Amino acid sequence: MLDRLMLVLILSDLAFLGVSRFSAALSLLALQGALLGALALAAHGSASTERMVLLALIGLILRGVLFPWLLRRTARRAEIVEERNPLVGFAPSLLIGLVLLGIAMTLGARLPLRTSPMLGLVVPASLFTVFTGVFLVVARRKALSQCLGYLVLDNGIYGFGVATVGNIPALVELGTLLDALVAVLVMAIAMYRLREEFDHMNTDQLDTLRG
Amino acid sequence: MNPMATAWLEIGLALLLAPLLNSVISRVKAVFAGRQGPPLLQPYFDLAKLLRKGAVYSPTTTWIFRAGPILGLATTAAALLLVPAGRISAPVAFPADFILLAYLLALGRFFTISAALDTGSSFEGMGASREAHFAALAEPTLFLGLAALARKTGALSLSQILPAASPLAPEVALVAGALAVVLLCENSRIPFDDPNTHLELTMVHEVMVLDHSGPDLAFIQYAAALKLWLWSSLLAGLLVPPVAAAWPASLTTTLGVFALAGCIGVVESTMARVRLLRVPHLLAAALALSAVATILVVR
Amino acid sequence: MSAEHLLWLTVLGPAVFALAATLVRSTRASLAIVAAGSLVSSALNALIAILVLARGPLLAGAGWFRVDALSACHLALLALVGASSGLYAVIYLAEELRQGSLTARQARHFAGLWCGTLAALAFLLVSNNLGLMWVGLETTTLLTAFLIALHVSRESLEAMWKYLLICSVAIAFAFMGTLLAAAAATTTHSGAPPALFWTDLIAVAPRLDPALMRAAFLFLIVGYGTKAGLAPMHNWLPDAHSQAPAPVSALFSCFMLNAALYCTLRFIPVMEGVPGCAGWAQGLLLGFGLISVVVGAGFMLFQHDAKRLFAYCSVEHVGLIGLGLGLGGLGTVAALLHSVNHSLAKALAFFAAGRLGQAHGTHEIAHMSGALRTSRAWGVALLASCLALVGAAPFATFLSELLLLKALFDHGRTALLVVVLAALGLAFVGLMRHAIRLAWARGEEPPRRITVGIADVALVSLVLAALIALGVVIPTPLRQAVQAAAAIVNAPSAANLVAGVRP
Repeated sequence: MLDRLMLVLILSDLAFLGVSRFSAALSLLALQGALLGALALAAHGSASTERMVLLALIGLILRGVLFPWLLRRTARRAEIVEERNPLVGFAPSLLIGLVLLGIAMTLGARLPLRTSPMLGLVVPASLFTVFTGVFLVVARRKALSQCLGYLVLDNGIYGFGVATVGNIPALVELGTLLDALVAVLVMAIAMYRLREEFDHMNTDQLDTLRG
Repeated sequence: MNPMATAWLEIGLALLLAPLLNSVISRVKAVFAGRQGPPLLQPYFDLAKLLRKGAVYSPTTTWIFRAGPILGLATTAAALLLVPAGRISAPVAFPADFILLAYLLALGRFFTISAALDTGSSFEGMGASREAHFAALAEPTLFLGLAALARKTGALSLSQILPAASPLAPEVALVAGALAVVLLCENSRIPFDDPNTHLELTMVHEVMVLDHSGPDLAFIQYAAALKLWLWSSLLAGLLVPPVAAAWPASLTTTLGVFALAGCIGVVESTMARVRLLRVPHLLAAALALSAVATILVVR
Repeated sequence: MSAEHLLWLTVLGPAVFALAATLVRSTRASLAIVAAGSLVSSALNALIAILVLARGPLLAGAGWFRVDALSACHLALLALVGASSGLYAVIYLAEELRQGSLTARQARHFAGLWCGTLAALAFLLVSNNLGLMWVGLETTTLLTAFLIALHVSRESLEAMWKYLLICSVAIAFAFMGTLLAAAAATTTHSGAPPALFWTDLIAVAPRLDPALMRAAFLFLIVGYGTKAGLAPMHNWLPDAHSQAPAPVSALFSCFMLNAALYCTLRFIPVMEGVPGCAGWAQGLLLGFGLISVVVGAGFMLFQHDAKRLFAYCSVEHVGLIGLGLGLGGLGTVAALLHSVNHSLAKALAFFAAGRLGQAHGTHEIAHMSGALRTSRAWGVALLASCLALVGAAPFATFLSELLLLKALFDHGRTALLVVVLAALGLAFVGLMRHAIRLAWARGEEPPRRITVGIADVALVSLVLAALIALGVVIPTPLRQAVQAAAAIVNAPSAANLVAGVRP
């Protein structure tokens, strides 16, 4: 069953590379949050403690509900609808994504991690999510896309942590969730200020500081 | 009834009933639009009418223009011989026959494009370039999807691959999705091409055959119907659970084909045609689905 | 009060001040909070550092807190930098208040974010848990982002966004590295709690899988190295430093880069313990350090903005520190010593650039000249810091750079030595080219007179005195402290890990 979830995660990453409208992208982000919450709950099966379930639920609410909502509000206030012409076009992005998927699969097989057998596809899927996040940050113009890329990267790392480390201390997990929340808030405010000052959110036009 | 006879029965059904697919699609669209729709046998009346007429050939055209429709029909009919029905093997089946299938279709497309370019008209040329562009993206999808299925089922012949592939496996589901998109593209359906448009600048396939008339046009229309049947039976072979017995296999495949035609009708009624610039994105998405299936199978 | 209470205080103290900053209304109160918060935090940090250096490693909070010689050295540095930058921030912002370019809201934000950053920096230094160390560094990224764009303008927003994105992605990579290391540790013994404690990781180092740890360290050095300003990941540094207010630039260059290097340093002894990886991690650090030295020195040649010039100088010096750390042995001692000396010199440089910028209204070097005429104290500070940054005697940086070059020679890396000397020469040209003009040239009269009070003079004198004193002789406590810290990085023995003083 976990394999099916991870397949949907991989498809959602590919979808991220192909969509241009932000409403679709933010729905995909919510879907990823839900998938990762399900992964966290299912990864330990019967060995989960109450604390782990609670942490998984908090993570689910933050990643699946709160972050997309915050960014939707930001997009609405900044009045941006879609990424019109990214640095790397949508069709080439999809093809590059496929190459990244291949790399993630090979790496996932090569790394000598001891994960339980039922978590077969989780490590490659998480690695692919990480790669997708980095690609989105690098290959898109709008600040909101870059913020989305950062969150996708964060999702991938979270999935990787769930698969490989098992139970991270609750304090560390709460700390990382809090950091993610503050990061989203900070980025949202920054984007809003960018939009106010520049009248656009194209980060490739932020080039006055050079040399 | 022995398997060989069933296989030829299926071919006969295809040759006979293919034009009905178009009428099924038209009827579904009419129901959605609250209309009556044309009679179910209308495509046959159209074909008969066209066969009775004389053809007009422009002085700028050469033998390619006359050969295009005939070769298109020949290649499509030949390709039809390779598709199985349920567990009944196709009349022609050998290892890696799906490559022959893809290339037969490509051959037909080549001659259609050549005939279009032969007219020297800019409309046809525009349609030819669009068709070639989309085909360049659709063919790898078909190949990758079939290769993934071949690897998964361990067989190399279409007659063995299709019955063995169960849509419950995620890889097969992905390939089925990719093939569904390619079906719509290859058969010039919405969201790739509107078959009912009368504006040449928005056409892809219709505009390539703008100058054909009489029996040539009849061959082209019939070949298009056969192509739709072929693709639908490929997809139905994937989706419908295979039946081993002789004539029920033929029956289930035929029913599957008509069900798919109905689905195409629904898709045409609910979606609009996509901007021409976005068509490569859709095809790239289908390619991505195929590629993911391949990667999953190969790991 | 026990040592454990002290540790809690050192983290929570500045945090309380940060919270208090959100409640006050007037600018004066905000500035008072900045001063008080910095001084209190510095006092506490210094106290802990002295305690640990005298008595040995401190373990508290059921193993979650741990301060050893390495952390103590950095805590002492934080105390120094925090106190001086905090005082400078008050002077700087008071001048802005007088010039009318600071609103109460901005002052409030500054106070809250400044104290919060100090708290986060202290937090990352005292934690034994590598995950919480990461949380601390990430928090500093997020808090300082708004400090950069305190005065909203196109350039500052651009710098802030670049900084935010590059450093957040980099820190996420560093977390990936931390997870990989933890995964390597969990594969050694199943059923035991995950080893995100540094002490646990060191203990199981010989049993860790080399391939995994190599992958982990790669992520870590790229991630933390970006935050430390190592080239080629340094792109955010010049922009952030040039656009941020001078106190913030000083805090960046003088401590935050060192904090990021500290996080990398924590993993080096682990990597040394992994079988088959000896010297690999240090080789990476050496490579990045060398590239940073060359890139920093090279880019310094064609800068026309004073703070940007000093920013590239930071890249160069962080490269030198990385180089020393990558050498090991004497190099580590030299590098740790250099981090202290560089922080002192760079602080002075940014302080002077900031104040003179306030006088001239711009940081363009072409428009800032005749510093000695504008303000005797800050002109001297600027000139002295430029000399110190190129490593001139009798400043402290001369000693540490000499030590570093000696380490290079001792290890037989003559090729590297030649490259480093060439780069230092480039840096000399790049910096001194402007220093003389900045100090003496007859330029236009400064449009605004700045009030240079006793606080300015005191600050300059103290830092200058420290620079010269350390350049003449390295006091024994400092030498012992640095050697103890270097010992932890180079080859931690079991004795180092014995939980020293109970709380």
